Amino acid sequence: MSDPTQPAATAADAAADAPAPEIKISARDVQVYYGDNHAIRDVAVDISDKMVTAFIGPSGCGKSTFLRCLNRINDTIDIARVEGQILLDGEDIYHKSVDPVQLRARVGMVFQKPNPFPKSIYDNVAYGPRIHGLSRNRADLDTIVEKALRRAALWDEVKDRIDTPGTGLSGGQQQRLCIARAIATEPEVLLMDEPCSALDPIATDQIEALIHELRASYSLVIVTHSMQQAARVSQRTAFFHLGDLVEYDTTETIFNNPTDPRTESYISGRIG
Amino acid sequence: MTEGAQDMTQTSGTSAPARSLFAQSAHLRRRRRSETRLKLYGLAAMLLSAFALVALLGSVVVRATGALTESYVTLDVTVDPAVLDLGDNPSDTDIRRADNGALILTALQNRFPLATGRSARKELKDIISGGAPFELGDDIAADLGVIGQTSAFRLLASDTADLYLKGSYGTLETLTPAGRLTVTEGRRSSVTLSSTADDFLPALAVAKAGLVRTAENLREKASRQDNAVTVYTERAAAAADDDARQTQTDKADRAAAKRDKFLADAAALEARAAAPGGNEKLDDDSRSFLVTVAGGWIRLTEVGTNSATGEMLTTATLPVTGATGWGLHATGLAESDRKISDRQIAWLESLDADGAVKRSFNLRFFTAADSRAPELAGIRGAVVGSFWTMLVTFLLVFPVGVLGAIYLEEFAPKNALTGFIEVNINNLAAVPSIIFGLLGLSVFLGFFGVPRSAPLAGGIVLALMTLPTIIIAARVSMAAVPPSIREAALGVGASRVQTAFHHVLPLALPGILTGTIIGMARALGETAPLITIGMVAFIVDVPSGITDSATVLPVQIFRWSDFPEQAFEARTAAAICTLLVFLIFMNIVAVILRRKFERRW
Repeated sequence: MSDPTQPAATAADAAADAPAPEIKISARDVQVYYGDNHAIRDVAVDISDKMVTAFIGPSGCGKSTFLRCLNRINDTIDIARVEGQILLDGEDIYHKSVDPVQLRARVGMVFQKPNPFPKSIYDNVAYGPRIHGLSRNRADLDTIVEKALRRAALWDEVKDRIDTPGTGLSGGQQQRLCIARAIATEPEVLLMDEPCSALDPIATDQIEALIHELRASYSLVIVTHSMQQAARVSQRTAFFHLGDLVEYDTTETIFNNPTDPRTESYISGRIG
Repeated sequence: MTEGAQDMTQTSGTSAPARSLFAQSAHLRRRRRSETRLKLYGLAAMLLSAFALVALLGSVVVRATGALTESYVTLDVTVDPAVLDLGDNPSDTDIRRADNGALILTALQNRFPLATGRSARKELKDIISGGAPFELGDDIAADLGVIGQTSAFRLLASDTADLYLKGSYGTLETLTPAGRLTVTEGRRSSVTLSSTADDFLPALAVAKAGLVRTAENLREKASRQDNAVTVYTERAAAAADDDARQTQTDKADRAAAKRDKFLADAAALEARAAAPGGNEKLDDDSRSFLVTVAGGWIRLTEVGTNSATGEMLTTATLPVTGATGWGLHATGLAESDRKISDRQIAWLESLDADGAVKRSFNLRFFTAADSRAPELAGIRGAVVGSFWTMLVTFLLVFPVGVLGAIYLEEFAPKNALTGFIEVNINNLAAVPSIIFGLLGLSVFLGFFGVPRSAPLAGGIVLALMTLPTIIIAARVSMAAVPPSIREAALGVGASRVQTAFHHVLPLALPGILTGTIIGMARALGETAPLITIGMVAFIVDVPSGITDSATVLPVQIFRWSDFPEQAFEARTAAAICTLLVFLIFMNIVAVILRRKFERRW
C-alpha cells in the first residue's frame, strides 16, 4: 500500500447520532460486472468504524456481491470486474500495487455456510496468525487462539477438545469458530455474508449476541436476508434492489421512516 | 408405478373403482416384461464376465503350481582332485570353473553302470540340470574338506526330469501281475522273461493296437494308390495314341499292384492283431512297459501272453526264477510323445525308490534372475528391474503431474491456450502405449543418449505414458474440494499459492494418490513401450541401478511365453501370478487410501 490516494469526500451523509463516527470504508461509483451482466450500479456507501452496517434486499439484488468487493474476494472469479473506488482508511483497495492478501488480513470475512477447515479447532484459528507471522512462538500462538475463541464466545465450549476436528462441531459452533478464525488475524473490518442463514434460532441468537460484543472492536458489515435481524443488530442499514443501492441511512430511519417507496414496500413485505 | 401391486391383498366388500390399482393394462405388462428381460440380460452379462475371470485366474494359478517346487537328486559324488585339476590354493572361481560336470557324470555312471554309449551318457547327463555343476562347485568351495572324499550332494534335476516327476509326461501306471516271473539274461543287456500267468496280456494288447494303427496307415496308402489308378485309367482312355495309352496303362497297373500289396499287408496285420496269443514288438509309438525285478528295471521290447523279451535298463541280479513281488508298469505316454526316454524314467524311478529324489519349495524362482534353462530361471531380475523402473516413473510423474494439475486447476487463466493444453492432456491418455515407446526410442535413446534397456529409459517412457492419467486424477480430486474451503483460506488472508498447498492439495491428496497408484499399476503391467526401447533383452544379472540393463516383469512374461521349453509354461504362469499379486496389492492400497481419507463436507 505504497500509494495512498487522497481521502474521499467523507461523511457526506454522516449519521445523525451524536459524535460523527469515523469512516472506515468509503465506496464511490462502484460498478460490478459478471461478464456482460451489470450486477451492481453506482453504489456509494460509507461504512463507519465500531458500528454494524447491514445490507438488506431481495435475492439477487447485489448485496453479497458488493460485500465481496470489500475484501476483493471477487478477484477469484475470472469473469468478475469491479470499477469505481473503494477506500479503506483512505487507501484505494483496488489500486494495482495493493496485495489482496494484505487487504484480507485487515478485512476478515465470515461466510454464509460455516466452512471450517477439516483440521483441528486449534489449527483452524491458528492458521491466519501462522501465515501472517503474528506469533513468535507456540505460547504466543496459544494466547492468540484462546483470545480469539474467547471473543467468539466459543472458548468454554471447546477448551477441552481443542485438538478435535472443527468439522465435528455443531453448525452454530462451526460458525462461531469461523468468526474466531476471522478475528484471530486482528482485522479492522469483519464482513459477514448471511452468517445465520444456515443456523437454527438458538444458534442465530448466539451469533447476534456475539455481533453486539464485536461491535466495540471492529467495523462490522453484515448481509442478511432477515429484516428483523438487520433491525436487531445493525445501526445503519443499506437497502439494495436489482443492483442499485436504493437507500442508506440509520437503521431506525430505514425501518420507521424510509424515503424511497421501494424500501417501504420491501420493509412492509410487499416486494422481495 | 404399480410395482408389487399383486402382493397387496385386495380389500373386499366395496366394489372395484373405475381405475383399480390392481388392474393391469396390457401396456403395463409389456413394460414389466421388457424390464425383466433387461435385468436378465444384465445378470447374464455379469455371470459371463465373472465366469471368464474365474476361468482365467484359475487356469493361470493351476499352471503356476508347477513352478512351486523344484526337484533335487541326491548322489554320492567323489570329488576327485585329478578330475578337477586344481592347483595349489584354488580360488572359489577356480573351483567353480573346474570340470565339476565330469564329477557328476562319473557319479551317475557309478550309479547306473549300464548306461554306456554316447546317447545313453547324454540321456544320463540330461536328468541333472546344467546349473548343477556350478552349485556343486559352490558346495566344494564352501567346504574344501570334501576334496578327495565321496559324499552325498544335492543336485538340481533338469527341467525334463522335474516335469516327469511332477507328472507332466503322464504317470506310471502300476499293474498287478499274478504269476511268478523267471528272467534269464541274454546277449548284451537283453533278457527273456516268462511268467506263470498271462501277465503280459495288457502289453500284448497295446502292441496289437500298434499293429492295427500300422494297418490303418497301410490302408490309407492303399487308398492313395487307388486314386492314382483311377487317374491313370482316365488318362489312358483320353490318350491320343497307343504309345501314350500304353504308358498310362502300365502306370495304372503298377499302382494297382502297390495298392493290392498294401491291402494284403494290412489284412495280414489285422489278422495278427485279431488272433489270440502271438508275439508282437512294442514300438516307440506305443506306451512302454517296464518290469521291476531283483532291484533292476527292464523295458519290454517284444511281448507274448506270458513271455516277453526286454532290455535291462538298470542292473538287476539275474537270473531270477519264480520270483513273486515283481512289478509291471505302463507309462502314460508313448516314448515318441514325451521328451523323457524310458531309460531316464527307469533311472529317476529307481532313484526315487532309493529316496534320493526330493522336492523342495522353489525359492530359486524368486531369488534367481533369468536363464535359458527353465529350472534355473527366476524372476528376481525382472522384479528388481520393475522396481527401478517404477521408481524412476514415480519420481518423475508424481511431482510433475501434481504440480501440472495444481497449475491447471488453481492458477491457469481460462483461455484458448489452456483449453488446448487440456484437450491434449485428455487425448494423450488415449494414445496407444507403443507410441510412447517409439517416442522414447527416438527422443530419449536417439537424441539424449539415455542408455538402452535401462530402467532410466523405461521409467521416462512410462512416466510420459502415466502423466495424463495422474494429471486428470489430480485435477478431478482438486475440483472436488469445495470452493468454500478456498474462500475460507483466502478470507483469512492466505495467498492463492498458500490456499492451494495448505488446503486444496492435502484434501485432494488421497484422490491424487489413488490416481497415481492406479496409473503406476498400469505402468507396471505395460509391455509394448518397453520392448521398443530394448528392455526385452536376455539379461542374467539382477540390475543394481537405473542405468543397468534390465527387464521388467511383463516383458519377462512375454519372453518366457515364447520359449519352447515346456517347463517355462509353469514359470510364465507363476510370473503372471506374481505380477497379479503386485497389481492387486497396489489396487488394495488405493482402495484403502480412498476409504480412509475420504472426506465429506
